[in-house]
Amino acid sequence: MFDLESQIRQWKTHVYSTGSIGQNDMEELESHLRDSMDELTDRGLSTEEAFLLAVRRMGDIEVIHEEFSKISTEDLWRQLLVPTDNPITARRNRKELGIVIGLALLGGLLSKIPALFGYGDMDVYSLLYLRNASIFAFFPVAIYLIWKRSLPILRSLLVLSIFPSGALLVNVYPSYEPHHTGLLLSLHLPMLLLFVLLYFFGGPAINREGQPLYATGWRNPNTRLNFVRFVGESFIYAILIGMGGMVLIALTTGTFDLIKIDAFPFITAWIAPFGFFGLFIVAAYLVIQKKNLIESIAPVLARIFTPLFLLVLISLIVAFLITPNQAYENRNMLIWFDIILALVLALTLYSMSSKDFSSNNASAKSQITFWDFLSFGLIISAVIVDTIALSGISMRLSAYGFSANRTAALGENLILLVNLLLLCVGYVRYFLQRQTFQAIVVMQMRFLSVYGVWAACVVIVFPLLFGFR
Amino acid sequence: MHIPKDLVAASATPIVLSILQKEDSYGYAIIRKVQDISDNQMAWTDGMLYPVLHRLESAGFIDSYWKESLNGRRRKYYHITEAGIDECEILISQWDIVHRALHRLLHGKADD
Repeated sequence: MFDLESQIRQWKTHVYSTGSIGQNDMEELESHLRDSMDELTDRGLSTEEAFLLAVRRMGDIEVIHEEFSKISTEDLWRQLLVPTDNPITARRNRKELGIVIGLALLGGLLSKIPALFGYGDMDVYSLLYLRNASIFAFFPVAIYLIWKRSLPILRSLLVLSIFPSGALLVNVYPSYEPHHTGLLLSLHLPMLLLFVLLYFFGGPAINREGQPLYATGWRNPNTRLNFVRFVGESFIYAILIGMGGMVLIALTTGTFDLIKIDAFPFITAWIAPFGFFGLFIVAAYLVIQKKNLIESIAPVLARIFTPLFLLVLISLIVAFLITPNQAYENRNMLIWFDIILALVLALTLYSMSSKDFSSNNASAKSQITFWDFLSFGLIISAVIVDTIALSGISMRLSAYGFSANRTAALGENLILLVNLLLLCVGYVRYFLQRQTFQAIVVMQMRFLSVYGVWAACVVIVFPLLFGFR
Repeated sequence: MHIPKDLVAASATPIVLSILQKEDSYGYAIIRKVQDISDNQMAWTDGMLYPVLHRLESAGFIDSYWKESLNGRRRKYYHITEAGIDECEILISQWDIVHRALHRLLHGKADD
């Protein structure tokens, strides 16, 4: 027996599942379907025939959905965390929100593990917390990505085991005064773990049958570029939410102070760690939620700061020419050089990600813009600054010998120099129209692996090499 | 005869606006009307009309209201606005130019 109502319900579920069609639109479409069926049954068709024909006349739902989503792009930003009137999407969103809240709590709980072993005081054991911080913060994000991307469980668990083994490593390694290898390790572990997140973000590069997946997977340059965007956006979100959290904490302490209750111990022991380690997963969730909805902020910031940083670099070079011995004698200056260079690389990455290079057609040639020249200028001046830094480092190396910090700085600056030079070559070839912009992006995304390997090196080998000092 | 997608898309707006200029109507009736006046030659997929209607509504050329029909079914009726009437006039004069040009090519300038 043909059950019309249940058939219509099924059809509605199917229409809803595309996501862009809301309840009002659905009611309109349903009323249309019923009108259409009425006419067909009047002509003598059975209910079932009329239903099938009416659905056929309605057309391909995918295409309709596409048309609908084109109109509603202006309204899309509202969908970010605003309840949608599409019931299936709404249910999925609720479930996801539940998982995210759970994972945020997990981050906080992880950060309480050291307390179980008697290392509860964050001020006394700050280096221990610093070493483990990226594990507490990124582990929930990894779980979330595995769930979100429905990755193959077995392989994901294998890669996920990097987290516990990393935790084991950093806590088994001793750290002696002056704790340089310990600090270096704390700074490089997040870089390494970002690569693990990249794996979960892109998914495996080979499928179950062992065939390589070229179009997707974590090795694909496009996936990596998207991951770079994802990290940048999450970072900005995390900062915004974190600032909000700090205001909230200040308000809470202040108010409890008025009624003579000292809330500070409770806040530092529970609220702050749960807030901080839950921050990253929440930021990641928000970015993934809105990814298709609005243009990202990181490329906008990159555009604002590219010309400004160019000025900073040029003034640095000029300052160095006027007072050349500064860079050699002051080790703090070298550290500042390195921070600026890292930011320059980030700027280049994000201006890259905002450039529309996808079209490989004839118009690609005319796409060379003012911004490309600006990026190129930035890279050139970064090469000069990096050379100055390297000469400073080698002076210090020859004067004081190899220490953990100096070796790390040497390695990083060398890798950076190679990267910047490759970018220079890429841009020149692009300006001469010998290669597309896509080629620069592919090169840069592949080069990211070098940073991953280097970070692993600093985390695993350096402490052994320099006697855990 | 099959009418290509681009032509359907381009002609949809003036046709829908002209239909609504006669009287308020709802999606299903508009589709049937189009089939009627084109002797079934312009077969739109039913579902594609709604994105067009929504676009016109957000452009302010039409507005909409819900009304119950005699058999108790709720229908969304569309009503043309002042801006819609102006827009319709412009579009139709554009189509007239194209139509006249084609006509002259086929029949010579004499009949003008």
